[in-house]
Amino acid sequence: MKTAKPWLKMLTTGILASALVISGCSSSKSPEASNTPAAASEKNLKIMWWGSDGRHEATNKVLDLYTSKNEGIKFTPEFTAWDGYWSKLPTLSASRTLPDVLQMDAAYIESYVKRGLLADLSDLDLSGIVDENVLENVKIDGKLYGIPLSYNGQAMVYDKAALDQYGVTLPQNNWTWEDFFNFAREARTKLPSDKYPIDDLRNIWEWYQFYQTSKGLGPIFKEGKFNLDKDTWMEFNNIYAEFSKQGIVPKADLQLSAKENDPQTDTFAKGRVLLRGSSVGSATAVEALLPNGDIQVNSYPIGTAGGGWAQSTIFFSINADSPNIEEAKQFLKWFISDQEAGKILGTTRGIPINSEVLGAIESTLTSGEQLGIQLLDVAKTNALPFYPAPAGAEDFTATYKSELEAVMFGQITLEQAYETLVEKGKAAESNNS
Amino acid sequence: MTAEAKRSWRSHLILIPFSLLMIYPVIWWIGASFKSTAELSLPSLFPEQWMWQNYTDGWAFSSKYTFTTFFANTLMMEFWNVLGGVLTAALVGYGFGRLNFRFRNFWFAVLMATLMLPAQVTVVPQYILYNKLGFVDSYVPLILPHFFGGGAFFIFLVVQFIRGIPRELDEAAQIDGASVYGIFFRIIMPLIKPSLYTVGIFTFLWSWDDFFSQLLYLSSVEKFTVGLGLRMFIDQFEVQWGQLLAMSLLSVLPSAIIFFVAQKHFVEGIATTGIKG
Amino acid sequence: MFGKKIGTKRKYEHNVAGYVFISPWLLGFLLLTLWPIIQSFYLSFTQYSLLDSPTWVGTGNYEAIFQKDRLFIKSLVVTFTFVLFAVPIKLFFSLMVAMLLNRDIKGMSLYRTLIYFPSLIGGSIAVAALWRNMFGLDGYINHILSWFSIEGIGWISNPKTALSTLILLSAWQFGSTMVIFLAGLKQIPKDLYESASVDGAGFFRKFSNITIPMLSPVMFFNLVLGIINAFQMFTSAFVITAGGPANSTYMYVLFLYEKAFKQFQMGYASALGWILLLIIGLLTVINFVASKYWVHYESEGGK
Repeated sequence: MKTAKPWLKMLTTGILASALVISGCSSSKSPEASNTPAAASEKNLKIMWWGSDGRHEATNKVLDLYTSKNEGIKFTPEFTAWDGYWSKLPTLSASRTLPDVLQMDAAYIESYVKRGLLADLSDLDLSGIVDENVLENVKIDGKLYGIPLSYNGQAMVYDKAALDQYGVTLPQNNWTWEDFFNFAREARTKLPSDKYPIDDLRNIWEWYQFYQTSKGLGPIFKEGKFNLDKDTWMEFNNIYAEFSKQGIVPKADLQLSAKENDPQTDTFAKGRVLLRGSSVGSATAVEALLPNGDIQVNSYPIGTAGGGWAQSTIFFSINADSPNIEEAKQFLKWFISDQEAGKILGTTRGIPINSEVLGAIESTLTSGEQLGIQLLDVAKTNALPFYPAPAGAEDFTATYKSELEAVMFGQITLEQAYETLVEKGKAAESNNS
Repeated sequence: MTAEAKRSWRSHLILIPFSLLMIYPVIWWIGASFKSTAELSLPSLFPEQWMWQNYTDGWAFSSKYTFTTFFANTLMMEFWNVLGGVLTAALVGYGFGRLNFRFRNFWFAVLMATLMLPAQVTVVPQYILYNKLGFVDSYVPLILPHFFGGGAFFIFLVVQFIRGIPRELDEAAQIDGASVYGIFFRIIMPLIKPSLYTVGIFTFLWSWDDFFSQLLYLSSVEKFTVGLGLRMFIDQFEVQWGQLLAMSLLSVLPSAIIFFVAQKHFVEGIATTGIKG
Repeated sequence: MFGKKIGTKRKYEHNVAGYVFISPWLLGFLLLTLWPIIQSFYLSFTQYSLLDSPTWVGTGNYEAIFQKDRLFIKSLVVTFTFVLFAVPIKLFFSLMVAMLLNRDIKGMSLYRTLIYFPSLIGGSIAVAALWRNMFGLDGYINHILSWFSIEGIGWISNPKTALSTLILLSAWQFGSTMVIFLAGLKQIPKDLYESASVDGAGFFRKFSNITIPMLSPVMFFNLVLGIINAFQMFTSAFVITAGGPANSTYMYVLFLYEKAFKQFQMGYASALGWILLLIIGLLTVINFVASKYWVHYESEGGK
């Protein structure tokens, strides 16, 4: 009998708790029902995004604000962490239950556009709200499928205090790849053996792509065609192979144990590597990792065509099957241009795309966000377009990583890796068409 | 008496260092959950500056929802899961383990096969099905399967335990006029108690961790489970490590408590019930 | 699958009761599980991106898997290696620990909980951070090695050791297997040991004559499920190593997951799923056949 008691207690609490929740379930069923066109005067927009808690709170407030200003427009917000968002979305798509408005990322948007899931927003007039060039940049096949929400871009950060301490010549803005490699060579002679000037990022396909595009040779997939320039690629990887041998870059197992922005392993956070790339979006994370460091911003290495990139990577898109496309469009236009909304949203989706909104909140930016703005300014100067992997190249990019890791550990030769990549690249070409 | 004391002393001598070895990462975890992000990069076990905010801010989560909601939701879900799992696994296990009926072996093979197909390939059709039934954004898809036998793992577990019980017991009861139902409730149920505790504990632990289904089926924040709440600390570019480690440490506590309480019942069970009918 | 003995002795005597007892599962299976399974079988013959409708490709996916896909072979090799080592190590280890914990001494509840604790955090997102702390270059293991002036390596970031480290991780989380053994040990009547002691049997004789046979149904369970679960190992490869470095921990189900949700090839992934079903199914059948020779069921009079 003694043992029955706690169970009995649990039983009663459980029944009580579930009664509460079940009644909660049934009451929340009703807004879903009103989603169907039955209530013609009232529109319910389902909106979904990923992000942190700050983003959720701010966005919810802004949605309430819009509802209060626009009688008859209601929202059903839904948000998850970045982690699960991209697994959930395909499932929703398969069951034809995508929300009306959904947040998109530059790395994924093309896959959704290619399958006809997103509405064409080209006719939405955003002049005076978003810079014309910015819009041109994010168009896919000449059409706009996502309203850009913030600026992003890529430049480099370095720990000035550490470089100064060892008397390493500081990097210069708009330096060339040659300068970059020479910086690394010179720094090696001055740094203690457990510190490295740069990372060994051979297994990151984007890193090589920066090299190729800056030389004016175009991205790895140029207009759908596989475009890995063999000589350039060999040259690039041979430099790194040499660096690895000479200890200019960390050993492979140290390098691969690093997870970007993870305080325990990030090479930059640990003070092991003194210069690295950083996107505007991750500036606050970098700042948090080295709160006492003297972080300075520098441009990417530049080639004849430019270097680095600066472009929006977060969008709001509209489900092509949504019955409320027009309402959603008007809402999105308001979302990025309204000052009041902008003040509430702050930088929860990065540096606001609308310059007036940005001006209004500039004084409230944290030091991490200011670092982001510096990164953006540097990145903009010589920015190349952002080249995400095209839809259908997922297998290629995964293979790139594993093949180059095998090269880094000396399991296969560069030539062998190249052959595999060509094969996968060609396959991606046909997937894409 | 002295030999017995000596033996238990020897056991402690093995168990203490072994427990410490097993628990070391958790000690690190406790220390880390009080660290600031910058301090996490240092190798020391405990922080110089104890960040109690990791717990308070983490728990507070947002102005509308706190982890109190998430814990309440999860515990409510768990209650039904465990109840459903324990009740039905015993029934189905008895059916497969003791009774002879037509096509039993066929159904048992089907049961085992459901374990072998990776969930990743059925998750989407399953979602579509639940969506058609109108169960999305409710706990039904998470709870209901536990009332259907609790899954092949548990059924098979109970089957194995039941097959370990001598048949003479049932036969004796049968002679006394008990039906198969009577045998189940009066003879078998008490005897398989240890395995039912196992079913209960594992149901609890595993549904606590089942992030992917929770992600798919719960979309309103007021229905979030602890697992979903925790994921919110991980953003695209930045992870709130302190809060994540603090809250995830708290999130394993209910499981640890449940385990601590329930494992005592292994000690009871058949040894005290007596086997001779 | 069960011994023939009962079948022939009293053929189908519980036709009604049997179905009554299994009805919860049977209903659930027919209503909720069967349709998704049929669907996934159908999808394995299609090209299906999840984002648009499936198109029939016949046996195209299966042909591509067997003829062209090197990752299929790679992930199978990785998975088989994992199963081959992880399952026996875990079984042995958890049986030993279960026997250690199957005593009535003071503080046993606490020991059990402490020792079980690592298994509690298996699915937690914190486990990746923990594991990096243990096996990272600056981790705990290397710290200990440094006392003996051995230079450590990045255990999970080196293709030579990453898989072994995951095997170790799975052994470290032996808890659930151990608990099942513990429950099994508790079910063995104490008087068996007592009478054996009276007969003068030592520890090893009791172990081989009483523990092993009495525990064999549970051992069989742990073996069968251990193999099934090891083949489906996903979480730690996904969270801790993401299959790397250089695909050295690219487990089969991780491969399948990436095909389905990262590369939008659900049809292909479904085909992979059904191939896995066949592989595991075959091994399980072998297991059940072999069990007739070593698993001892009290309910069937010893065999």
